[in-house]
Amino acid sequence: MMEDKVKTLQKEFLNVFEKLEVVLGWEPGYDSLHATPSFIREAEDLNKLVWNPLCSQNLCTYLVKTLNVRVRENDKKIGICVKGCDSRSLVALIQEKFVPREALYIVGIPCEGTVDWRRLMRFEPSLKDVQKLHIQGPELAVETAQKTYRFPLQHVLEQRCLHCRYPNPIIYDGLAGEPVTPRVGDDQVYGDVEKIEQYSLPDRLKFWEKELDRCIRCYACRNACPLCICRDSCIAETRTPKWLAQRCDLKEKFFYHMIHAMHLAGRCTECGECERVCPVEIPVTLIKKKLNQIVKELLDYEAGIDPQKQPPLLTFDPSEKGI
Amino acid sequence: MSEKIFIAQSELTAMLERLSKEMDVWVPVEMGDEKWGVRFLPYHRDNVVVLGRQSTLSPKNVVFPQVETLLRFRYQKDDHDPSKQSIDLKDLQDVSSALVFGARPCDVRGFLTFDQVFLKGRYKDPYYAQRREKTLFATVLCDTKDSACFCSSVGSGPGDREGSDLWMVPVDDGYVIEALNDKGRKLIPIMGKPATPEQIEKAQRVQEQVTAKPIGEYNLTQSAGDFTGRFEDMDYWRDRVSKCISCGICTFVCPTCYCFNITDESRDLEGERIRSWDSCMFYHYTLEASGHNPRPEKFERYRNRVGHKFSYFPDAYNGMISCCGCGRCIRSCPVSIDIRKIVHHLKEAVDADN
Repeated sequence: MMEDKVKTLQKEFLNVFEKLEVVLGWEPGYDSLHATPSFIREAEDLNKLVWNPLCSQNLCTYLVKTLNVRVRENDKKIGICVKGCDSRSLVALIQEKFVPREALYIVGIPCEGTVDWRRLMRFEPSLKDVQKLHIQGPELAVETAQKTYRFPLQHVLEQRCLHCRYPNPIIYDGLAGEPVTPRVGDDQVYGDVEKIEQYSLPDRLKFWEKELDRCIRCYACRNACPLCICRDSCIAETRTPKWLAQRCDLKEKFFYHMIHAMHLAGRCTECGECERVCPVEIPVTLIKKKLNQIVKELLDYEAGIDPQKQPPLLTFDPSEKGI
Repeated sequence: MSEKIFIAQSELTAMLERLSKEMDVWVPVEMGDEKWGVRFLPYHRDNVVVLGRQSTLSPKNVVFPQVETLLRFRYQKDDHDPSKQSIDLKDLQDVSSALVFGARPCDVRGFLTFDQVFLKGRYKDPYYAQRREKTLFATVLCDTKDSACFCSSVGSGPGDREGSDLWMVPVDDGYVIEALNDKGRKLIPIMGKPATPEQIEKAQRVQEQVTAKPIGEYNLTQSAGDFTGRFEDMDYWRDRVSKCISCGICTFVCPTCYCFNITDESRDLEGERIRSWDSCMFYHYTLEASGHNPRPEKFERYRNRVGHKFSYFPDAYNGMISCCGCGRCIRSCPVSIDIRKIVHHLKEAVDADN
């Protein structure tokens, strides 16, 4: 079935290839447990594309920061593969006019979740030479020449996937695969946030101090974020004015992560890339989810769902009832 | 006469306790509950030491801290004439001796490239020099390679003892430890009891077995010419590096990346001049005061990283490559960029064109 999805995916792009400048998808990575983003410019390379639970990267991040899609030199489109969560980032970028809808040819992929390589390693450090890896019901089946391993999904999927309620793409031109049922109901979406909120305030502070203290200020969370669109002018690095010191104390790290989160309030589409890319495994998506929860409660708004809607923090409504 | 001792896994904690009374001991520990990553932290009895896999962050920060104070300053206004002020300066702080316990050959090799830059040139960096002088490395022979490792491709290997002070070989649920120089020899008496001849022989066999199996399929030691030949081939770089998101992970986890920034961080009348890790992947790394940036594109910055390690560095330092093949930049890369392939294909592409 996964093979069918890949064929559909490739065919979707092949059918319109002469109208496309480039196709963003995934291809096999440096080993059998990694996929890597792929920029396809020739039709014969389309067969490099793959789809499996290792295709974790949100490719929408390239639209603004690498391809600068807003500035088009020709009428050719950008082909892009999106999972459910990725498609929300697309919607947000379209809403904020960073990406014109008509510049995209979107192939959506209903997604049952992507694998957190580090969680998988914790479970089975010796795992290698994987021939096939797919989701079967509540398990991840990993086939090697010797045996088939089965891992419970809650132990090996990315955190974002465990609380995902939008596994199906929201906008697309073509769809590869049948829609899937969301893993959680609307009431469980903020379960991870609520868990932290059960801590007392001092304990919560202690939790975040411990987590954020590991930050090495590599800015991967920012650079992987599809909605962090300040590009090379992020205030974390500007010297005039200088908001943050070059020091690497907890204070600076805390400040940086709060800036990142505040700039995404009501904009974050919860793709979880910030957390996935973190080399020191800080659960940074939680901070953004908390802000989203507040935006939902106050303004009844969810980012990246409706391309026609105006994001609340990009507008002003004096009759606003939430606040 | 035997300088080789044996320490059982179960006695490690007691040994680290003893050592930590003599000096700062840095050990690889897990990043937290249910986390996979490992980093080096000062020894604490509650920390679980992880020797079975490579650390996510190299122990580079022990000798080259992410942030280091170069000097502290304080302005003093003249009470009688506020337009006049004097300045108090305090520079170099003493550092204590340290032992990095459980480093790997690739980690230690990183410092050999650092030495070229900070110690062997016309100017000697006093900050680096004093930490380097006072830091010892107890290195564990590496028998846990994974798919990102390529130390033999850059002229090192899993049994490479160069740069280490103590050498540990896993044997019989413990380690045979040998001093490789006088600095290491001084620690041997407090580390453990002499190893038995059988243990020493076993350790010898493990050493031979590991040395016999090179890690990494390519030879990347002669790539300088291939790089210069490929330098202006923008398509090559754009093609392979478009997916780079320009974060600092590869440079920060790298045992050989040594680029730094110097800034004055002050408040009111006092402050400090600090040196902090910089990354050539960052846009601001080459941004000039005029506003011009000679490397505005991501692929230009990545090209520089490859060039520095495999071409400019060997050109400047007798053919030495500033890459230790630890594979951290591959493993931690958010988009799985594989530097081995990029360097290897420099040559293939050049060959194909000819």
